[in-house]
Amino acid sequence: MKNILILPVILLFFTINAYSQNYDNQKFEKMSNDIDSLKELSKPGKSKFLLRGYSHSGLEITEENTSFVGGSFNPIFIYKQSDRLMFESELEFELEDRNLNIGLEYANISYLLTKSLTVRFGKILLPFGIFVDRMHPAWVDKFSSKPLGVGHGGILPGSDIGIELRGASYLGSSKINYSLYVMNGPRLNEGDEEPDEAGQLHYDNFPDNNKNKAIGGRLGFLPLSNSSLEIGFSGMYGKVGSGNSQYADVASKLYAIDISYIQNLPFMQSVLDIKTRYSGVITDNADYRDYDNLVNPDAMYTFTNQNSTTFAQIAIRPAMVNNKILRSFEIAGRYSDLLTPEGSKWASNLNQWEFSLNYWLNWRTVFKLSYRTTEGEVEYDEGTDSPVGKAFLFHWAIGF
Amino acid sequence: MKNKRKSLIYSGLGTLILFALIFLLSNCNVSNEIKAKSGAQLWGENCLRCHNNPSPETFSDVEWDVAVMHMRIRANLTDEEAKKIAKFLKTAN
Repeated sequence: MKNILILPVILLFFTINAYSQNYDNQKFEKMSNDIDSLKELSKPGKSKFLLRGYSHSGLEITEENTSFVGGSFNPIFIYKQSDRLMFESELEFELEDRNLNIGLEYANISYLLTKSLTVRFGKILLPFGIFVDRMHPAWVDKFSSKPLGVGHGGILPGSDIGIELRGASYLGSSKINYSLYVMNGPRLNEGDEEPDEAGQLHYDNFPDNNKNKAIGGRLGFLPLSNSSLEIGFSGMYGKVGSGNSQYADVASKLYAIDISYIQNLPFMQSVLDIKTRYSGVITDNADYRDYDNLVNPDAMYTFTNQNSTTFAQIAIRPAMVNNKILRSFEIAGRYSDLLTPEGSKWASNLNQWEFSLNYWLNWRTVFKLSYRTTEGEVEYDEGTDSPVGKAFLFHWAIGF
Repeated sequence: MKNKRKSLIYSGLGTLILFALIFLLSNCNVSNEIKAKSGAQLWGENCLRCHNNPSPETFSDVEWDVAVMHMRIRANLTDEEAKKIAKFLKTAN
């Protein structure tokens, strides 16, 4: 009786064992295939996509009002097609004048020609000075607002459409980086549409208002072997008037000198960050129609069209102290000024100080508490946009 | 017409000079001090020039490949620097 029972049990055991082995083999084969797929994914040369970006918002207390501002969201799309080819684009969603404003910060294609030369074409952030190219994201900028001369109401270029060659190379223990570009270039405001801004340069020049292309570039020199110091020279030249107008030969020269110095200070257990830039914009003098002259509608006026702007900033963060809370703090101070042509309808002579106490939650999330004071004269003022006066700014920014 | 020809000549000359400069630079000797730098050291020196040093845990290996290529172009890193930094970030994450 016992033998009769043992036989089915043995048979059942072998059946289960065989099934289990088969199941294990299938599982092992599946895992092996998964590993092979992962290996395939990590091989160089395969297309890879990355979504990055940043967001910020804040509360601003000015002499006129107290308002929540910002609500800006900037996704950056990066697509690596191969080890040489990459596409990237940054969009900006922000509230402006009670409307949703969607902007294209840049969208370009980069191709690595050689180890030390890359070609980019499309809409690119211009390497003119250091602010726009390197410091404009809210989580990188150590202050709640931009320095004078940059962005809305500024005199400097941000992005443009064209083609650029850029790269970097070592010279012994020193390093240089270089960029040369051909772009649509700035467009002269000839006063027909916005008479109060006649003579100003606008950088949203697409399609181009003439057949001329602006040529520019930047050369950066890093003399120290630890790359802590960089001295940069930027320049751009191009005709800015409309091709078939009396302003066809009006040209602009733009230049900038920038210095960056970032150094660990062991005796203070801190990181020191100094950045400064001086830039000038010189446009050929031209006659503009004086729309304010109601007696003589044909009256013209002119002025010496020279502009300049400066910023200098310093930041110290005790990043090497043991106390986690203390090392998350950073103090920063910045001076900036803006000088636009006397005699124009947008003449201004402004200077600004901004001090900021920052708290870093992690390497890319920051709370900024800033105090800003701006003095000077603004000939043409769009009212609420006037930067003159004192303000407390509290901003939060995150990079992702 | 004359101005157009002048501009073309200047642009051509400028491009030639740039390529000659880049050819010369790419053949320049790199000092042993620079060659000996580790990926961690280059990560510490270069990222901090614009922003805080990113934590290696932020991205996966595959994502670091894309992020480093993006920064190589944006921050003008050399080929060698980008490779060493990517290797360090992938090892440390």
